[in-house]
Amino acid sequence: MRAMLVASGLLIVLAAAYWLGADAIPKSSLGGLVGADGLPKLLAVALGLLSAGLALQTLVEMRKRRRTGAASATGTAASSEVGDVAGHLRALGVIAIGVGFLVALPVLGYALSVALLLVAVATYSGKAFGLGTVVFGVAGAAFFYVLFVLGLDVPLPAGIWPSLLSGGSAPV
Amino acid sequence: MDGLFHAIAAVSTWQVLAAAAGGVLWGILGGALPGISPSIAMALLLPFTYDMSPVMAVVMLGSVYIGAEYGGSIPAILIRTPGTNAAAATVIDGYVMHQNGRGGEALGLSLTGGTIGGLFGLILLATLTKPLSSLALMFTPPAYFALGMLGLSIIASVSEGSLLKGLIAGILGLMLATVGTDPLSGVTRFTFGEPELLEGVHFILIMLGVFAVAELMTKIAEKETDEGVRPESVSRLVLPSLGKLWSLRRAQAIGCAVGALEGPVPGAGGTVASFLSYNEARRWSKTPEEFGKGSEEGVIAPETANNVVTATALVPTLSFGIPGSNSTAILLGGFLIHGLQPGPLLFSTNPDVVYGLFGGLFVANLMMFLFGIVILGPAIWLVNRPRPYLNAVILALVFSGIYSINHSLFDLAVVLGAGVVGYAMRVLRFPTLPLILGLVLGYMIESNYRRSLLLTRGDHMVFFENGVSAFLMICAIIVLVLAAVTEIRRFRRAADA
Repeated sequence: MRAMLVASGLLIVLAAAYWLGADAIPKSSLGGLVGADGLPKLLAVALGLLSAGLALQTLVEMRKRRRTGAASATGTAASSEVGDVAGHLRALGVIAIGVGFLVALPVLGYALSVALLLVAVATYSGKAFGLGTVVFGVAGAAFFYVLFVLGLDVPLPAGIWPSLLSGGSAPV
Repeated sequence: MDGLFHAIAAVSTWQVLAAAAGGVLWGILGGALPGISPSIAMALLLPFTYDMSPVMAVVMLGSVYIGAEYGGSIPAILIRTPGTNAAAATVIDGYVMHQNGRGGEALGLSLTGGTIGGLFGLILLATLTKPLSSLALMFTPPAYFALGMLGLSIIASVSEGSLLKGLIAGILGLMLATVGTDPLSGVTRFTFGEPELLEGVHFILIMLGVFAVAELMTKIAEKETDEGVRPESVSRLVLPSLGKLWSLRRAQAIGCAVGALEGPVPGAGGTVASFLSYNEARRWSKTPEEFGKGSEEGVIAPETANNVVTATALVPTLSFGIPGSNSTAILLGGFLIHGLQPGPLLFSTNPDVVYGLFGGLFVANLMMFLFGIVILGPAIWLVNRPRPYLNAVILALVFSGIYSINHSLFDLAVVLGAGVVGYAMRVLRFPTLPLILGLVLGYMIESNYRRSLLLTRGDHMVFFENGVSAFLMICAIIVLVLAAVTEIRRFRRAADA
């Protein structure tokens, strides 16, 4: 419940920021009667009102629960509603791995980055690191390379390897 | 009769049969790969059609379209990742069926519904091209706006019990749709000086983030193991019996009707058709409470509709030379490469190509069914691999597919950001589908609303003066009022309890 209140507050802040962004949109005579800022401003107002409504609804429910003496149940519901913090941090680990892939891709190239991504996610998901995961990473990277680079002819980054091998500067 | 003769003549050549088979197979593979949309799958084959005969070329491209629209449902059901935009509606009940140990049944329903829908659409395409094309001509900007509003009204039924949260999610989607260059004036909005945002946020990025990445995050947060899905249930494909298909006739009829009406409308496409048919199937169902909990009707209705669209979407392309979607634009390119100009004269100047295309697409639909059976076995085997390996492959597939669209690291960052938003929405129990609907329909709604007002100098009655627009607006209002009444009743019941 408390998490929902916080979310409602954040949504109201977002609505206000979005309104300010809409207000800063340059005016153009080509924009017609409504203008480029018309819909964004309408959406900002709607989001603000609905978020306030959500906050109100949450407060009413909290009050009702307290009045019916379900305070302990509320605590349980609240904790189950947002889950455990450790779980959320584990989930964010996936994003951290993704960011690592983003950083590695232009440097290490597609094949090696995908191999590392496969090993990292498999290990992070609970598979013990060992020869099996390494073989999985290498075989998976080979499969993806054949599919996307050779099969679909998608130009994926080669990384620093071509320049290292030729002795030149690293390509982006 | 001449048309039938041309169609039979075309499909009796091995080249056209090979083109249909190759196209369907490639389409299923492309559709099943997140990030490779039907149009991308078609575009990748376009250069190879230069040296082909015109019939062979257009049959191959049309077959890719058919295969891809079906292929998108495979990852939607098995890994909660819609391979195509149109498969997003299939995720709702398809993935729940899979979680409940009925993945094989869901895949069977999708395949059978898709084949029936494709064949039905083809019959419509071949027999009613001209009458249906007149419907497309009736779609003026006010009607497009009303169509978008009707699409948005679906939010009411996909809000999973909280209309307020659904509306907020829908508005967030509409807000995302305003990012980029303004459709009328050309000024930039919410781009923060980032050139990669000038064309807006592509919904495939948000969809993959909200569905695939958020799903992966949830699995890892909950430490889900291989027990998450009952293995015995996904060991084989289960095709529905005739009795089962008969019991689902209402949902299929709705899918066929919605696909028939939506397909010829430029810009509407399979995505709107599948969501609309899902909503209508739920409304007319005897067991609407099953929707969202693994309803068979919830799988077969959108899958039928989006495959009907693969045929009916060709109506404006062939009749007027106006492509209504990226996929049909590429098919149009296939015609132009061979010096053929689709339009009213095409039927008289090149009947062999037009009716050859119809014949080829008929064969392609049958092949889709056969290839679907063959491919589903390995697909089911794949999802039964240990969960950590599967998680890794899904993320690698998503990243590779997304990167291959624009070769942009920025797109990957957007997917990751959308994943975080999708995860937060799940934790706070916000429905995610309204977000996608808002994003998909935002451009259509805003641009046509403003164009309509520009044409009428600000007269809002224009939306009720045009017949098509008035009908769609009234439908949208009825849907919203009914949803609001249901929500108020639910709230009162909860208060009484």
